[in-house]
Order: sequence, then structure tokens, then C-alpha cells
Amino acid sequence: MSMIRWWSGGGLALSAVLLLAGCGEQGPKEGEDALAVSQALGGDDMEGYARALAPRDFQFPEDHAAHPAYRNEWWYVTGNLDDPEGRRFGFQMTFFRFALSPTPPESESTWATNQGWMAHLAVTDVAGDRHQALERFSRGGAGLAGAELDPFRVWLDDWELKAESGNDFPWRLLAAEGDLALDLRLTPLKDKVFQGDRGLSQKSPEPGNASYYFSMTRLKTKGTLRLGEQDYPVTGLSWMDREWSTSVLGENQVGWDWFSLQLDDGHDVMVYELRLEDGGVDPLSKGLWVEPDSRHQVIPQDAFELEVKQTWISPQGGTYPVAWHLRLPEQDRDLEIRAVREDQEMDLTVRYWEGAVDVFEAGQPAGRGFVEMTAY
Amino acid sequence: MTLLAKALIRDHRKRPWNILFSILGVALGVAIVVAVDIANSSASRAFELSLETVTGRTTHQVLGGPAGLDESLYAQLRRQGFRESAPVVEGHVQARGETFTLLGLEPFAEAPFRDYANGARGEGVSALITDADAVMLSSRTAARLDLEPGDRFTVTIRGREETVTLRSVLETDEPGLDGIMLADIAHAQVLLQRLGRLDRIDLILPDHDTLERLRALLPEGAEVMATKSRNEATLQLSRAFHINLTAMSLLALLVGAFLIYNTMIFSVLRRRRLLATLRMQGMTGAELFRLVMTEALMVGLTGAILGLLAGTLIGQFLLQMVTRTVSDMYFVLTVTELHLTVWGVLKGLLLGIAATLAAALGPAWEAARISPRDALRRSTLERGVGRLMPWLIGVGLILMGLSWLLLQWPGQSLLLGFAALFLLILGYALLIPPALLILARGLASPLASAFGAMGRLSARGVSAGMSRAGPATAALALAVSATIGVGVMVESFRTTVDAWLGQTLQGDVYVSAPGRSGVGINPVLPEAARARLEALETVETVSTARRVHVHSPQGTLEMMAVDPAPRTPESYRYRAGDGSSAWRSLENRDAVLISEPLAWRLSLGLHDTLTLRTDRGLRAFTIVGVVQEYGSDRGLVTVHRALYDRYWDDPGVASLGIYLRDGLPLDTALGPIRAAVADLGSPVLVTSSGEIRELSMDIFDRTFAITHILRLLTVGVAFIGILSALMALQMERSKENAVLRATGVTPRELGGMVTLQSGLLGLAAGILAIPLGLIMSHMLIEVINLRSFGWSMQHQVSLRVLMEGVWLALLAALLAGIYPGLRMARAQPAEHLREE
Repeated sequence: MSMIRWWSGGGLALSAVLLLAGCGEQGPKEGEDALAVSQALGGDDMEGYARALAPRDFQFPEDHAAHPAYRNEWWYVTGNLDDPEGRRFGFQMTFFRFALSPTPPESESTWATNQGWMAHLAVTDVAGDRHQALERFSRGGAGLAGAELDPFRVWLDDWELKAESGNDFPWRLLAAEGDLALDLRLTPLKDKVFQGDRGLSQKSPEPGNASYYFSMTRLKTKGTLRLGEQDYPVTGLSWMDREWSTSVLGENQVGWDWFSLQLDDGHDVMVYELRLEDGGVDPLSKGLWVEPDSRHQVIPQDAFELEVKQTWISPQGGTYPVAWHLRLPEQDRDLEIRAVREDQEMDLTVRYWEGAVDVFEAGQPAGRGFVEMTAY
Repeated sequence: MTLLAKALIRDHRKRPWNILFSILGVALGVAIVVAVDIANSSASRAFELSLETVTGRTTHQVLGGPAGLDESLYAQLRRQGFRESAPVVEGHVQARGETFTLLGLEPFAEAPFRDYANGARGEGVSALITDADAVMLSSRTAARLDLEPGDRFTVTIRGREETVTLRSVLETDEPGLDGIMLADIAHAQVLLQRLGRLDRIDLILPDHDTLERLRALLPEGAEVMATKSRNEATLQLSRAFHINLTAMSLLALLVGAFLIYNTMIFSVLRRRRLLATLRMQGMTGAELFRLVMTEALMVGLTGAILGLLAGTLIGQFLLQMVTRTVSDMYFVLTVTELHLTVWGVLKGLLLGIAATLAAALGPAWEAARISPRDALRRSTLERGVGRLMPWLIGVGLILMGLSWLLLQWPGQSLLLGFAALFLLILGYALLIPPALLILARGLASPLASAFGAMGRLSARGVSAGMSRAGPATAALALAVSATIGVGVMVESFRTTVDAWLGQTLQGDVYVSAPGRSGVGINPVLPEAARARLEALETVETVSTARRVHVHSPQGTLEMMAVDPAPRTPESYRYRAGDGSSAWRSLENRDAVLISEPLAWRLSLGLHDTLTLRTDRGLRAFTIVGVVQEYGSDRGLVTVHRALYDRYWDDPGVASLGIYLRDGLPLDTALGPIRAAVADLGSPVLVTSSGEIRELSMDIFDRTFAITHILRLLTVGVAFIGILSALMALQMERSKENAVLRATGVTPRELGGMVTLQSGLLGLAAGILAIPLGLIMSHMLIEVINLRSFGWSMQHQVSLRVLMEGVWLALLAALLAGIYPGLRMARAQPAEHLREE
């Protein structure tokens, strides 16, 4: 679900990457951010790309790999972990693919490609009072980055998400840079769930402004996390989103807030609100309620209520909500959501807030989750 | 002093040409120095800038063996955490008559290194990646080539023509980008036919530990080098060439200094009476000394400023020649800007003024010595000059002795070599006036018998006016000796190279892959070529060669791997070692041949070892021969193909030497050879050895074209000198001439006498220039050339070069004599007598 706002404009994103990284800047400047939005919304030339027009017949393991005919795609893993002493961590590891043109250049060179890749890695250490975010870029050629099967592997340099063998779970997430390293093993506790209409997630009314979207909402996670000199054996739960699209946002949509919550009683909840220019919420906002046995149902926009309880002003100037009240009348649930720490802003080439949250119900801990907020 | 100044100015107004010549002499000398300086520094600066632009913030570079790097090394290094790394593929391409460095980059990895992506206009950087034919130029270069974003144009790469599209232009006027064409790395690999390979990996390494960690990861054939030292080494390539040019320009200034001396002494002599009168009025000798020196300073300053202006113009012209030579010999260079530095301007000014002041010291001293009673005597000075002769001889011999001593100084210093050369020239120049005196006296009788009284008068006139004729002749002789010296050197060099080419090109026809260049991996022939040619009936046997760059602890070296034909060993001239046994060692042992320049530069000799980085790591090779080779001024290592294949993984062959069956005419053989390689997929050059020889000699001649220009400019300075001396001489003698006219000598006879005198001076200068020219050529060959490059050459003195020198001197003198001769002939005797 995440990051669509930026990745609606693939070529745009690349020039932003080259420009900003070239200037040695961390994160976009005010003016450039606005430019990115208007260009993305203005509908870059999408001719030649495949569009998400109708529900598709998902095929596995094929759909674990890349869909280069679509402009954007990601493998998005977030999770909450603890070490044996109860030290609390959140992590995010994402591989983004963006096409620079609909078709690859005709060339014999292994470097030739029309695909760009970006990867984000972030760790929140609650006890250590820190949130660290890293990013990488590469072309999708010469073995530098890509997604492939047999065995399944998505990688950018030495950051990778791969099957231990073949294409099936368990998968491993491996990443290291500087004094940060993770090595996590992901085992699903539930089946894949398909978002929206059998996996077609309509984001704005125009046909094709949609993505193909499925999730693994509950992955048992075990491994090690290195912060500085210290190795922490960790266990916990992760959530993986897989999504690909060519265009999504409509004219008047500015950004969104996305929630993935894993409740202690075995239920999982996803909801997102598409925010409109006028401050309202787009009726295409929706969610998904997943039972412990993987049965699931869509939560339409009028079937949930999200209320901001508290905000935080980032050093970069954005005012982000950091505490919410989520009511699900049909499920008869009343959830309080609170960021484990306020400062989980991803101050990277493309700036957003992505962080671990706690869920409470009637004042008691009821689960954990991850929240993403864009365009603040 | 104001009165005095007025008197002097009035004097100069009366005889403006005198001071004008002085100024012109300084101006020309300074102009040549400045022009060469500008050409040299513009070329160097342009190259530095383009190196800086190409390397950006790179601290280290990983370089491969002869075949470059396997491209997978890059991904490996990235995975090992070397994140500030960028792959580069580069080579040369021609577009619209210019040669460009095609730089293939990975835009995603570029941010830490270079800022090209920042200013891309047009379709931006992503089009560079996604369009298989996209290239990018700086806006300045695009404008120069008359290209707009979206334009398609043709580039030539190793003889192949490819169409590319200018997708984006960089909004920058950085001159370092003037010779650079940018492309995505994938596109560059295809254009340069370098699939699977990289030329280098640029890195930013924060510390020594990281460097060591990297070293441990590299395959045997790869090497990591600090960018700074690599760039410096590249700049060093053409250093000797630039030093030689500078020395030539200084020679012009030296000739200019003689001219200044000449005009200054004349101005002192001419105003002898005025100066003596000033002494009578109470001026001291020191004041007169200062007066002349101040005048010289004004002349020097004016001349130097004019010289700066003229030098800038000449510099533009010289720059083109320098650029061409550097591109022919060392590295591809695009220079679009004149590089004028404050220091360069200052240097020109100071040199001009210093030379003027130094040259004016003698005349000023002369002025200071004038006593009031000298005002009425004319011959004091000439007598003084006569007394000076033994001194000139003494000092001249001492300077020449010093020059000889300097040459004995151990070491290879090129600058010391030039110092010795200049001492020699200066010393010899001091000997010229005495020699002229002897010559003129000796010629008096022969001239008298040939031309009668006028002949005798001419000869006597020269010896009587020695104070003017001496320096003028010295200047002309000096200039002419330089043309002889350099001429003999170039001719010797040319003969040697030509003979070497004749011997080294033992094959009848050569088949090669076009486009060898100093950048990137050199091209190879399609694999099928050899077999097809060997299958031809007309072909007796085939040798192969592959010329590559290899790394060594002493820097990058050129190496040639040769698979010999039976006659190949004969194509080498051994300066050390035995030809027949050498080739057996080359094939079977770890042995190499090195060329003279390499032996000289690295102080290596027979049986020494040379360490090279092979694809199996560092290996030591025994030197089994030192051979003559003129293809590389940095030196060449020759190895047997068998050894090359043992130590390097680079199966390609770049050229084939074809030996035809005996007695087969070349014309009949060329057709089938051309046909055999016509459809190999990539263009192949088929060249007869005769053609190669011609082409090589063309390049040789082009390289020395600038030398010829400098020689002529130097003669130009001397020409002004002799003109001004003759003018002085004739003006000085105007009264005597008037007396002669009054006694019945016709204007024609008088003009003839001036001509004879000019001819005499020219001839003397020409003859006196020969010994100096020969010694100079010897020093150029045995000292300067050896210390610059290490090449040996046969000393080849042709009568033609010597005669050319004499003719040049004679012609210059006669031409210079025309105007004074005409003036004399037209002069009204009464006027001159009335002055008395």
C-alpha cells in the first residue's frame, strides 16, 4: 500500500534521486517535494505500461517475482521484535522497483535495463532511544539489484529477501550497513490475503488507477539484530505487503495514512485513509479484517472511524499524527494506537513517517503494528 | 633630467627605427616565449581539467590487466560494502571531426563522484539509461558541434560508424567536459565493444584500512591505484615534450637579447657626442649608466608588453599544433580555451625586461666610460671593441668549458642538459665577433680581387664597425645554428626511425583492428581472421601482436605480446643482448625484451629483472635484450605470446603480420587478403608495410612541425637583428659614403657595396653557425633527446641541412641589406657632408 504517492512517477523519482543524492542532501527540499506531487498527480506519461484494470489470476511463485511491465512495485516487510530481556525493536525493510520506461532498451550489455531499484532499511530501538533509516539505489542490471525465482530472491547489493531454498517460505531477510545489521527468518502463520476486489485495489475512480495488492499479515520472525557492537537475538511478528501498479492517485488525493495491526487475539487489521486536498477522506479508503484462520473481509470506508489523538512536529517541519483512535463497529472493536516513539520519520531522499505502534483496547495492551504516513 | 629626457626623445624622434627595432626584438623574443608558454600551459590545463572532470571526487581506482576488469567484480565489491564505488567504461570516439573520450557511467552510482547528473536538460538522465542510443554532452560542446537535444549524429569508433542521439545536454560551461561524451555504461559497453568488461572502478576510500581490505579482495590481475598519482603519471607523459618546446622558446629570447644588445650599443655609439657633452656638463658616469639602463627598461617594458599581446595570438596558433602532437603521441586532448595565468604573463614580462637589461649592461657600461674628450674622437670605441676581443674569447671558452663540465655531472636531469646547451650557445656566441673580425680581415684581399675597391671597402667596413656587426652576426649565427642543430637532430631522428621502421616491418602486409587508443582496452581482431589468412595460398606465414597496458610497481607500461614468424627476430635491433638466443629465452623462460627508453627511464639493463602485474599476481621477468624502438617514448616491453598466454587471460590478437610467399607481387596478394577479412563483422584494416611506414613518417613529420615553426620564428628575430645592425652600420658610415659619392662612386656602386657587406655578414654568420649547429645537434641527440626519451639515433649530417643554414643566413642578411642599401644609394652626398 505504501509509498505509492512517489512511485507513481518512476522517471521522476529517479531524477529526484540523482539530483538530491548528487547535492549531498538528505531528503527532498520543500519545493521539490511539491513538484514531485504535482508531477505524479498530473499523470506522467503512462503509455506503454501495463495497468491494473481488472482482478487478476494470481500465480505463485511467479507473482513473488517482479512485474516489470508495471511502473512500480514493492516488497514491504515491517515488524515488531523483542529480545529475551524484553528490549523492544521495530524494523522496516523494503525493496522498491520502478520502471524508467515501458520497455527495456535493446542491448546485449548486462547493464542495460529500464528498471531502477531503491531499498529502505529502518530500525527503531525503543530502549536505546533511536530510530535509524538507510537507503540504497541501484539499476536493475549487472546483477546489482532485482527480483528472481528459483530460488526466490529480491536484492539490492547485499540487502536481500530470499527463500531458504526454492521459492517457498520460510524466507530470510538479510541486511547490513555500518553498525546496523539484520538477519531474520520469516515463517507465515496465515495464508496470503488479497486486498480490495480479489487483489485489485482501486485507489481512485479512473480505471487503471489501482494496484495489485496482497499481504502476508502474520509472519513469525526469529533472528538477530545488530546495533553497534551489540547482537540481539530477537523474535516477533512481521507483516509483508506485495503491491504493483502503474498509476494510483487521483487528481485531488494528496497522501495517506496506512495501518497494519496484529492483535494479540490472532486477528489482523489493515486500514488506510486516502487524504484529499480539502482535508477530507476519499471514499475509496478501505481496510481488511483478517480472522485467525485467514478468512478475511473488506472494511469499506464507512465501516471504520479513525481519529487523531495526538500529533508530533518533526525537525523537518512535518506535523505527523502519533496517536489515534480506530473504531471498527462491525467487528465491535475500539482500538487505541500509539507510536512506540514519535520520531520514526524516514528522512531519506523521499521523506515519510513509518514506525512501530502499540495497540491498546480498554487501556490494556491488545497488539502491535506499523503505521505509514505520507505527504505531511 | 627633464631636459635630458627631452634631448633623448628628440633624438629618438629623429631616428625612430632604431628604438623601434629594439622594441620589436624584445617583443618578438617575448612573444615566442609567451606563445609557447600559453600553448604548453593551455594544453596541460585542458588535460588536467578533463582528468579532474573524469575522476571527480574519486580517491582510488581499481584497474585491470590488459583485458580490463570482469564486470562482475563491481557487484562483488558492492556486496562487500564498498558502496562509494562506480564502474567506468571509457574509450575514444570521433564525432564531427573531433575525438572525444566516451565515458560510460552508471548514473545510480554517480552521486558521490561526479555531478554530471545535476544539470541534465532535455530528457534527463533516465533517458540516458533507457534509450540504447542516447549520449549526453555539455551544452558548450553541443553548441560547438551544432547539436540540439534530440539530434541524431554519427560517431566513429574504431572504424565503425554508429548513430547516437543527443538525449540530454548538461547545463554547464565546465571546460573539462569539452572533450567528453557521456553515455550509460550499458550503451558504452556496446559502442566500445566491451561487453562484460569494465575499464576501471572508481572508489572513494576513507582510510588506509579500507584500502587494505579492498586489496585483499581483488583478483590477481587487478590493481588499486590512488587517483592523484595516476593522474600525475598521465600528465608526466608529455612532460619532456613541453620542456623541449620551452627550451626552444628560450633560445628565441636569447637571440632577441643579442638583438637588444645590438640596438642598445648602437644607440650609445650614435649618441656618443651627446653623451660626451652631457659628461662635460657635469653628469657622472654612474648617471649615464642609469640613463642607458632606464632607456633599456623602457624599451624592455614596451617590447615585453607588445610581446605579450603578440604571444597570445601566436600562442593560439601554436596551441593547435601542440594539441595535435600531444593527441598523436600521448593522449587525446581537446583544448577550447587559452590558459593565461598571471604567473605566465609575469614570467614573459620579467624575462623580456631581464633580457633587455642584461643585454643593455654592456652598452650602459660603455656609456659610463665615455669621457668628455671622447666626444670628438671616433675610433675610441672600435679600439675598445678591439681590446675586448681577447676577453670575449676567454669568457667564451670558459662558458663552453663550463658547459662541458655540466654534461659530466652524473644523473639524467633534462634541465641540467638544457643549462649545458645554453652555456655552450652563449660561450660560442661570444667567440663570434673575434671570428668575424678574422674572417673579415682574411676576406679583404679575396674580395678586393673579386670586386675591386668596393670589395675591400666592404670587408674593412665590417671589421671597422665590429661593435655593431659583431653582435648582429652573433645573433644571426645563433639563430641559424639553432636551425642547423635542430635540423640535423630531426633528420638524424627521421633517418633512424625510417630505418627502424624498415627493419621492424618485416611482414609484407599487416591486418589490424582499428582504433588503438591510450584510453581503455585496445581492440582485438575477430577470432576468425587468423585462420582465414593462413588458409590463403599466397600467405607463407603469419605473426601476431597484441599491444596492451600492464601495471608494474614502476607505473603503467606498454607491452607487446608477439607470436613471431620465422623472420620476426630479425626485425629487432639489439642495443644489448643477443638476438638469436633472446627469442629462445622469450619463448621458454620468464623473459622480456625492453626498449631503450624503458631501459633508460628505469635504469634497467641486460639480465636485470622487471616486475609486472600479471593475472597471476606480481611476477619478475628477466631482461634478455634491450632493443631500439621508437613507437613509444615511455618505453615498451616485448614478450613472447606463449609467455603472455601463460600469465595473462587475454586471448585476443590486435594485429597480424603477413609474410607472403617469395616473389609474390604485393598487388596481387592484397586483393585476396582484403576479401578474406571483409565479412568478419567488424572493420579490419589491411595495410601494406610500405603504407605503414609512410603513415608513421607522416606522424613523425607532424610532430616536428612545431619545431620547424619555432626555428623560423627564431630566424625572424635574428633577421630583425641583422636589419637593424646593417641600418646602424650604414647610418654610421653615411658621411664616409657621402665622401665616396662625392669622389665619384655611383649610387649603384654604393648600393652594391652595402649588398656585399650584408652578404659578407650573412655568409660569415652562416659559416660560423655550422660548427655551433653541429655541436648543438650532437648535444640534442646525445644529451637532450637521451635525457628526454632515452632513444639512440644515428648522427646524420646532411649537406642539405648545412647549406640550408648558410642560405638562410645569407638570404636574411641580403634581405635586411636591401633597405639600408637603397637609402644609401638615394642619399644626397651634399646633405651628409653639410652635417659635418
